[in-house]
Amino acid sequence: MDEKIINTSCSHDCGGRCVLKPHVKDGKIVRFESDTGEEPQLRACLRGRAYRQQVYAPDRIQYPMKRTGERGEGKFARISWDEALDTVAREMLRIKKDYGNASILLLWGGGSQAVLNGPMAVERLMAQFGGYTRAWGAASYEGPLFASMATYGTMNTGSARADHLNTKLMIMWGWNPAVTIWDPNTAYLLAQVKEKGIRIISIDPRLTDTTAVFASEWIPIRPSTDTAMMIAIAYVIIKKNLQDQNFLDTYTIGFDEFKNYVNGEEDGIPKTPEWAEKITGVPAATIERIAVEYATTKPAVLIPGWGPARGSMGEQFTRAACAVIAMTGNIGKEGGYAGGFMRAFHSREMSLPRTTKNAVEAGAAHRPNSLYKIRGAGHPTAARMHEVHVYDAILKGKAGGYSCDPKMAYIVASNFLNSRPDVNTGIAAFKKLGFIVIHEQRMTPTARFADILLPVNTFMEREDIAPPWLGSPYYLYVNPAIESRYESKSDFQICCELAPRLGIPDYAAGKDAEGWLRFVAERAGDITDFNSFKKDGVVKLKVEPFVAFKQEIADPANHPFPTPSGKIEIYSESLGEWQNPQMPAIPKYVPAPEGYGDPLQKKYPLQLLTSHHKPATHSTLEKIPWLEETEPRRLWLSTQDAKARGIADNDEILVFNDRGKVRIRAYVTDRITPGAVCLPHGGWFEIDENGVDIGGCENTLVPRLHSPGGAWSANTALVEVRREG
Amino acid sequence: MPQLGFYIDQSRCTGCYTCTVSCKDWHDIPAGPVHWRRVTAIEKGEFPRVFVAFLSLSCLHCAEPACVAACPVNAISKRAEDGIVIVNRDACLGNDDCGLCKEACPYGAPQFAAEANARMQKCDFCLERWGEGKKPICVESCPMRALDAGLLTEMEAKYGKVRSVEGFTYDTANKPSVVFKARTDELLKTPAPK
Repeated sequence: MDEKIINTSCSHDCGGRCVLKPHVKDGKIVRFESDTGEEPQLRACLRGRAYRQQVYAPDRIQYPMKRTGERGEGKFARISWDEALDTVAREMLRIKKDYGNASILLLWGGGSQAVLNGPMAVERLMAQFGGYTRAWGAASYEGPLFASMATYGTMNTGSARADHLNTKLMIMWGWNPAVTIWDPNTAYLLAQVKEKGIRIISIDPRLTDTTAVFASEWIPIRPSTDTAMMIAIAYVIIKKNLQDQNFLDTYTIGFDEFKNYVNGEEDGIPKTPEWAEKITGVPAATIERIAVEYATTKPAVLIPGWGPARGSMGEQFTRAACAVIAMTGNIGKEGGYAGGFMRAFHSREMSLPRTTKNAVEAGAAHRPNSLYKIRGAGHPTAARMHEVHVYDAILKGKAGGYSCDPKMAYIVASNFLNSRPDVNTGIAAFKKLGFIVIHEQRMTPTARFADILLPVNTFMEREDIAPPWLGSPYYLYVNPAIESRYESKSDFQICCELAPRLGIPDYAAGKDAEGWLRFVAERAGDITDFNSFKKDGVVKLKVEPFVAFKQEIADPANHPFPTPSGKIEIYSESLGEWQNPQMPAIPKYVPAPEGYGDPLQKKYPLQLLTSHHKPATHSTLEKIPWLEETEPRRLWLSTQDAKARGIADNDEILVFNDRGKVRIRAYVTDRITPGAVCLPHGGWFEIDENGVDIGGCENTLVPRLHSPGGAWSANTALVEVRREG
Repeated sequence: MPQLGFYIDQSRCTGCYTCTVSCKDWHDIPAGPVHWRRVTAIEKGEFPRVFVAFLSLSCLHCAEPACVAACPVNAISKRAEDGIVIVNRDACLGNDDCGLCKEACPYGAPQFAAEANARMQKCDFCLERWGEGKKPICVESCPMRALDAGLLTEMEAKYGKVRSVEGFTYDTANKPSVVFKARTDELLKTPAPK
């Protein structure tokens, strides 16, 4: 056969990172295979399998372009690379001179999760240019990260996935790895857990694909109320004296304070299952039964998914989960699970090294709502605004209390406007900026707002290293399958060519792409043979299955937890110092703004969830025909709520609140708890002449809110729905 | 006569569509009405006791395929060496002029593009891959390892002889070459208090 097979991988921001083997004929990718090698095979999902249509998408940006119409109108004229890069450099130098580096926003996303290209390349360039302003707060996980740092002092709190085979009970709480992947073989492992006869319970507002296939029991719950159920579980355990008191005495601090809150001694409200039933909609008897089952089955796994923590009081969910997990002593043991952030492998530290620190942040005060007192929290500077406040910062600047007056945005690997809450405000903010440069592969809604649009190649056209997601010990090498299409270049290459124009003499420190990748691979420490890694495209490490805190539990005298107290902090003195009732020293149920019980429900009664969408990776791989035809993006609407509104399955409906309107079709189903609706995220917004988003973007509806610890309000947003036409 | 067939583990299938997309990529079939392999979702029950199952199906290369019998010009045939049902698209009369195979097949296997008098096409068991000692692309791509393919007798020996599952009834006339593992329906049951 005259087809050449290339060993390479996906590097988008899903929970995967899988082997892809493009077959190349006459310089063109003609089809794919995936991992057929040694187990554990890293088999690509539908998204990787459809990647040919991304590489050859008709809306690939083919050459550098400059804006000719109004900003956002999407009218562009072709220019040369020289003109494009000269213009970008001229604007950056002008803005730096007139307003200072702090007025330059660097906005990035998860379009590339490889180590050389994407955000890393531009961040290095901008640091060498004298600094930039960036934002903090990760859309996916800021709540769990905050809770993990507060409770355990680390994000390495997970277990090797195979360790779940050692358990006797699994509780999946707001966790849907059949769609979010959570490392390539997680759903496969859940099948094995079920086949071994291990009972799986799922607590989730939706009967997700994961729940449908693997769970023996589905407990539907109102969005934003998970913490109330978790705390009622604690109540039952305490009431029946089922807690592992020896574990609590040895390894934790603050259980008594938590107990006083749970019992009602602190505030006069015992957090009984009946109390929780009114909030959560989960019958008190069910809460009691699950509490007893979890506390008396050893070992048991409770997985606090990131979904329930993506809310305006998000971190309380993960903190409460960690408290309940600690009460059952399921930490540091095979077949148990610590919860928290749930990372089980270190690879995400791989990145192109910054040679220069960001001068804009040098000497800036600590961000007051950070965990800077806790080791390893990282980057807690007040020179950053939260991601959901970028638009407000652009619109108000220093006058609004922000650290800078933004004048330009440098956007890389991000469909930013689509991926941040409140699209309509975002559009207004982007129209105010002086200059916008964007690296992009396809004509996304954000790309239409560029002044200079730079065509970027896909990972099929460049060299890189793709570290895995959270929990699996392997690395993937990205080998180019074909030449860069049209005039596209890699982010790294663009930065190499832009640097001298900005007066940066040695951006790449004399290294080419492979030179940097060799450096990064050597620095990782566990890739022994770079050449075979590159040739094979993958290295699977043989390591002991990770179980977080084994040492801390086995030998506490010599292995304290990396927290200020050296113990698992159910009570956090650092948080107590905040004196913020929404961030108490112990985890509490705090009603969430735009969550259940918000008075705004009188106007907008339905609680919007914004789940991952199976046929896309966030907003990447949107409008790919092979993917779009698998499962259309529709609004999940309960049969009960649909009936009350005269809506039938697949009807065209309007989803709306004060921030915007989305027109989409309804998926009327018994798979979602009444009162909740779900718009799978990532649809490319398209605002029509009536101000209606006909592209189905959830962020047209999501508020610019974050929790005290930084969690986005992605799953706390109130809407109403009506039939169109 | 040796007969190749599929194994489909419905208890594992999460409806991820990797099999259908990999099939389209491998055989270069554009998005549209032609699906050599299809995944359907089955929903039943009422909130909060709801059952959802997925079913991934292609042509099942029946032992006595009705499509072969129905074709007036012998464009569809069954290979003696392995039982794979193949179609000669040059001989096919087309969807508008004929379409009898589509009517004959109880499983919707014959596929037609959205063009005038499209010729029939369908799963060919990845004949070319099979010849190279590889399993069909759907089998090799399944992240759940829920699909397998081989001699039907081997599939039966390995996985048993379950012939009907949620959304699929064994047709005794055609004798589709497939065995299954069924899903349990515990989510339809009210859990007993402990």
